[in-house]
Amino acid sequence: MVLNFVFTLIQQHQTAHGEEAAAAAGHGAEQGTGEFILHHISDQPLVHLPTVFGIDLSITKHVLMMWISAVLMLALFSVLFGRAKLVPRGLANMFEAIIVFLREDVVKPYLGNDGHRFEPYLYTVFFFILFNNLMGLIPGGASATGNISVTAALAILTFLIGLLAGMKAHGAFGFFKGLVPPGLPKVLVPLLFVVEIMGLITKHFALAIRLFANMTAGHVVILALISLIFLFKSYLIALLPLVGAVGIGLLEVLVAMIQAYIFTMLSAVFIGAAIHQEH
Amino acid sequence: MDLLSPETGTMFWTALTFLLLLLVLGKLAWKPLVSALNEREQRIRESLEKAEEAQRQAEKNIAEYQAMLEKARAESQEIIERSRKTAETMREEIVENAKKEAERLLERAKKEIALEREKAVDEIRKLAVDLSLIATRKAIGKTLTPKDHEALIQEALKEIGDSN
Repeated sequence: MVLNFVFTLIQQHQTAHGEEAAAAAGHGAEQGTGEFILHHISDQPLVHLPTVFGIDLSITKHVLMMWISAVLMLALFSVLFGRAKLVPRGLANMFEAIIVFLREDVVKPYLGNDGHRFEPYLYTVFFFILFNNLMGLIPGGASATGNISVTAALAILTFLIGLLAGMKAHGAFGFFKGLVPPGLPKVLVPLLFVVEIMGLITKHFALAIRLFANMTAGHVVILALISLIFLFKSYLIALLPLVGAVGIGLLEVLVAMIQAYIFTMLSAVFIGAAIHQEH
Repeated sequence: MDLLSPETGTMFWTALTFLLLLLVLGKLAWKPLVSALNEREQRIRESLEKAEEAQRQAEKNIAEYQAMLEKARAESQEIIERSRKTAETMREEIVENAKKEAERLLERAKKEIALEREKAVDEIRKLAVDLSLIATRKAIGKTLTPKDHEALIQEALKEIGDSN
């Protein structure tokens, strides 16, 4: 549903470009709104860097936001937990409660005794996503997690970690052999192998899309509501979109936390599934 | 820039940023935090174990003290019982002894009295003989032969014995 909405926006954007010359003055406002929203949720290069091996290494808006949240995380967590005490106080206590929650409800149930090896990855991924999600709610900021490239990179990292951990646990051949449930007719094995490989890729693909779509959708809704104010050009009607935008903004805070948690939890589930191949 | 097509450049920067962040935070934050969490878990587990041990020890002590108290109570009861019995036997003995002593004293007194009485009777008898002799001599005025003596005494005695 969310994706459909985004697609329509893109189509609007494209048709807007196509009909730009022929557009009547009356349609100008609507097309301008679509462009305004798309401009806000898409990435723009800030510093152009040369292309290396066909990769455009330009520093974009989202890369900058990512760096800002990374620096924030570094400063906050190294100060809070650099000398972790037995009895934490204040802010350290708050963040520790979150980590203990992840430890007890994500790491231990889904990864069991192997969990401690993946703890740093899962904690980093949770806070990286959370901070980037929240960056989009700050005026002037943007959500790097609303960019498919960023979520795809994170999902690929989870995929690679699961793959390597699975291969380490069962051997490179054993891991792929273990994908197919045992006790099947020989004829079905190749078919199921292909299906399982597709499933493996699809669930990580969905991991990337879920985070990207959730973050993008929230921003699109808020921007659309705010655009209504400029479409109607009326102080009286402006109140409604304003209340709506504030409500959606509050919902976005919740979604930011839930999506960070879901990505972390699913990463743990996928890594756990790769290690413990029971069918 | 299309919304749904991933940019390799951004992906590269994301991966690089994330991995660097993971590396640094892993060293600076998660490692000390996780060890503190583990230590706390250990500490809590130990404290609970210690508390349980203390509880067990306390219960054992209470049971021990209760047993000791019970034993002391029984012992004291026994001591009281025993001393009561001793006192009872002693009392009976003392009373018995006193009774015997009293009886003995009474017996002796009786004997002494009887003896004294006999002595007194004898003396009286002798005195009576002497008196009768004197009286007879005076009355008759002559000396009697031992044979007369004997007959007179016997007569006198008889008289005394009758009057007695």
